[in-house]
Order: sequence, then C-alpha cells, then structure tokens
Amino acid sequence: MGDRSGALLPRARAPRGFSLASLVALVALVLVVALIPQVIKKPLILHMWIMVFLAVAQGAAWNLIGGYAGQYSVGHAAYFGMGAYTTMLLLEQHQIAPWFGLGLSVLNAVLLSTIIGSITFRLRGPYFVLASIAVAEILRLGALHFKDYTRGAEGILLSGIPPLETPWFAIRFVGKVPFYYASLLLAGGVVLANWIVQRTKLGYYFQAIREDQDAAHSLGINLTLHKNVALALSAAFTAATGALFALYVRFIDPNIVLGIDVSVQAVLICIIGGIGTIPGPVVGSIVLVLLSETLRNPKWLAQLGIVGYDSAPVAFIEAHFSNAHMLIYGILVVLVIEYAPDGILGLSRTAWNRWRRARRPEAPSQPSAA
Amino acid sequence: MSCILELKHVSKFFGGLAANSDVSFEVQREMILGLIGPNGAGKTTLFNCMTGYYPPSKGEVNLKGVRINGLQPNAVCRLGMVRTWQKVRPLAKMSVLDNVMVGALARTNSLRVARQVAFEQLKIVRMEAKADLLAGGLPIGERKKLEVARVLATKPELLLLDEVMGGLNPTESEEIIQLILELKKLGLTQIVIEHDMKAIMRLSDRIVVLNSGEKLAEGSPQEVANNPDVVAAYLGEAADA
Repeated sequence: MGDRSGALLPRARAPRGFSLASLVALVALVLVVALIPQVIKKPLILHMWIMVFLAVAQGAAWNLIGGYAGQYSVGHAAYFGMGAYTTMLLLEQHQIAPWFGLGLSVLNAVLLSTIIGSITFRLRGPYFVLASIAVAEILRLGALHFKDYTRGAEGILLSGIPPLETPWFAIRFVGKVPFYYASLLLAGGVVLANWIVQRTKLGYYFQAIREDQDAAHSLGINLTLHKNVALALSAAFTAATGALFALYVRFIDPNIVLGIDVSVQAVLICIIGGIGTIPGPVVGSIVLVLLSETLRNPKWLAQLGIVGYDSAPVAFIEAHFSNAHMLIYGILVVLVIEYAPDGILGLSRTAWNRWRRARRPEAPSQPSAA
Repeated sequence: MSCILELKHVSKFFGGLAANSDVSFEVQREMILGLIGPNGAGKTTLFNCMTGYYPPSKGEVNLKGVRINGLQPNAVCRLGMVRTWQKVRPLAKMSVLDNVMVGALARTNSLRVARQVAFEQLKIVRMEAKADLLAGGLPIGERKKLEVARVLATKPELLLLDEVMGGLNPTESEEIIQLILELKKLGLTQIVIEHDMKAIMRLSDRIVVLNSGEKLAEGSPQEVANNPDVVAAYLGEAADA
C-alpha cells in the first residue's frame, strides 16, 4: 500500500554514473559538430554557430550560480565586460597576446566576483538580484566615465590578433574557422564543468543552498564560502566568454559588453532552455540565438537555401522586426514561464512521458486503473 | 555520565522583548532532555541561540566544554550538535537519498561514502524504499522522518528535535517515539521539544519547563508534573488558590 502511493509521486532523476551509450552519442555529436567548418564554408552560417557556442558558454556559466546554487545574478555583464575589457586593453595598449590576456581576464573576474560576492551575498532573494544589477551598472557607468583608461563610449577597436605560434603548430586568427573551434572548445569546457559540478560534493552543496539556505546551513554547509565559490566559477567562465566574444567581434564599448542586455541574456538562455540542467543552456542558446540572429539579419536563411534573398519573409522581417529582438525575448519569457516553467527541456520531457504513457495504456502509471 | 552541553544564563532580546531570559541548564551524555512550555515560551528561540542562528544577547553556550556563542550553524553542526526544524525544510527538488547525502557530506568528501551513510540512515527511519522519490512530494509524516535521517547523517553527538511529532497521527507519533528511544540506545544525546505531554513524559529522563522566556522548573518527569507552578502555567491558577 505504502509502495503504491510512493509510485504515484514524481520520480527524481538521480544522476548515477554515465552510461556508455550516452558517452558514445556525445563523442559522435562533438565530432560531427567539429567537422562542420570542413563542409560548410559559408561565413554567415559559421557565424551563427559561433554565436550559439558563445551563448552556450555564457548560459552554462550562469547556470552554475543561478541554476545550481539558485542565486539569480542579473549582473553577469560585470564579468563578461571584465573579460572583454581586460583582454582588449592588454592587447591594444600593452601588446599582450590575447591568450595571456584571457588568462588575466579570468583572474580579474574571479577577484571581482569575490568583492561583489562579499557585498551582495549578505542579501537574499530579490535584494540579491537588485544588488547584482546595481553592481554591473556601476561598472558600465564607470567604464563610460573613466575615458582615459577605457576610451569611454568611443569603445575599443581591435587592430589585429597576432598569430599563436608554438613549436608544433601555428594558428592565424583570420576568418571564422579559428573562432569556430575556440568557441566550441570553450562551450564544451563550460558544459563539462557543469557536468563535473553536478556529480561532486560541490554540486550537492550548491543545490542544497538553492533549495533551502537555512536547512543547508544547519547541515554543515558554509553558505558564504559555497556561494562565493559558485560565483567565482561562474564569473571565470563568463569572463572567458566575454574575452572570446571581444576578439571575435573586434569592437567593444560599455553598452555592448557591460549593458544589462548581456546580464539578461545569460538568465534567459537558462530559463528558456531549462534551469539547473546540463542540456538546458544548450537548448536555450540554440533557440535564442537562432531567433535573435534571424530577426537582426534574416539573410542567413537565404545562405542556408531555405528562402531567397529577396523573398517575402526576409523583406518582412527586415521591415518590421529588425530592432525588436528584445521585445520578442520578453514575449518568449512570458510564454515559457506561463506554459513551461521548467523550460523547453521540461516541456519536452513531459511530452515524451505522455507519449510513452499513451503507447502503453495498461502501464501502472495510470492511477485510475489500479 | 558527563556533561555535553551547558547553558549559562542565556538571554535573547528582540528589541525590548526578552524571548529568553537567564536560562541555565546542563545536558548529560546519552540522556533525553524534554523541553516544554506553552506557545511562545521561547523553546525554538533557545534552539536558534544554541545552534548559531542568532547569537545569544547574554550568557554562554558550551558544547563539550567549548564556548560556541557566535559560531555559525555549519560550525556548530561540525562540532556535533544539529537541529531539525519545526516547520520541515525538505530540499524539495532533490531526491530523498540526495537530501540525506547532503547531511552525510558534512563528514566526507566522497559521494560514494555519503551515499552509503545516507542509505544506512534511511534504513534507521525505515524509508529506504523511498530513496529515489523527490523529497517535495512526500506526505508530512515522511517529511518529518526525512528531517531526522538527514541530521543523523551528519553524525551528531547531540540532536535537537523541534516538534518532530507535530501534525502526525498517533501511529506515526508512536513510530517517532520508538525511533527516539532507539537513537538513545545508540548513544545519542537528545533535546526534544514536544507538545504531546504523554510522549514527553515517556521519553524524557529530565524535563526543563520554559514560560515567557524564563526557566520555570527543571527535574524528573514526575517532579515537573507535580510542580504547582507548571500546572498553573499550563492550566491557569486554580480559582480558590
């Protein structure tokens, strides 16, 4: 009797081990994605992929603090901008190669996160959210104001990236392909970090803090320490993403890399895909980037061969939606929160379960039949 | 028997209100201390002062001879004193086993060890069959047992149970009583806050009565039950007194 009532409760998906089949599937997927630039040479399509990878890295980095530790920072532009500015300034003003600059920018972001964390983690819930927004805005306004160091609203234009030369190989950062692999590597790295966190003590502690801070505290969890660790990890990956973004786009200004759009995008990717899960940020990035890039520049559809360059859909989007991507984001978030609070991933899981139940109506998952 | 916990003149003020004032008592190892008193007597506040949720305004809390005023709850837990919550706090979106593992991880860094420890605790509260369910979906009786399993996993020496029988039916309460007695046999010291007088009289080796934040009486269950002040606090003064 007790067992039957238990069977009707929602089942937890306990992460236990990693099956060989899913490992093979993952390796196959990475190989296929890695081969894409060898087959498809169209720059706009490679650009789409790079933007997706950068978004995956950004979203999965936010997922560490927001998804696992449950601390909804809406100020991750601070770390994104810190990464972008450190790398660009070191390269343009001190001729320090970007791979060293990237390392230093990660270090800077970790330092910054410790300072921000020690201030904002005194607050809980909505107060923490507001404080995180405020800190990022202070940095943006600071970057606008201190022109001598940051060039202010004028921004920084990248003149060129020196080739990376090692005794074994040399990489010249020309065209899209090097950035394709660099961003794929970064995105893979951040998703892997999520995977590792979920399967270690750190992940258990992060999730306990998300579910109930007081309970976590009484069970021996140092709240301040673990929130700061989550933020530092998240900030480090966000800064690396910001640095790579800056090198790829070749121009930054305070509104592009420190604006609230950047902070909001990190959150939206996770909410739309599925917060606190590993595939969530990946799904969210694909949806969000395809949507926003299509609205900004529908011509990539033409390069894909779906529609003609002068076809009606392209003209329609260009005429009516070219600056409406934030509006569309907003509508999307309302829809997701209303109809799919666990994101697209949660929605598809529900649909999959319903489909399986429909195929086996005699299964014990039908409580009325029992 | 030796003293594991000592409260010396503990007071807690919220503004001008004294939630606890000048409370002193000792807890000996392997005993069950009942902490009773009418609603608002300051029982839960005292638990909060002892476990580090608020620092006491005055006085001293000594655990195993170490002064723990001002220590954070996580540090108190690692020293071996841990509490359950009157209003249960399951980690709702984690499985029952994962909930208990979070407790076990206070003493180990290995998930494998933690899983094993957690499973043993679930066996103690007879919930091993529910290990894979989401904690948020459990009925109240099982949530209370999960609270106990979770704190047991932190390997405490002193357990503070805040109304673990509140809201349970008689069968479930009896299960909890048996569990508390079982834990005593395992060598655990326990402080139990409970409103069910029958249960507290059966369980306690010693009882402390709080009223309006002050210690009203202390003694064996018999002594306390016959104390006129205690009777007055619960039932009011007799009309002809």
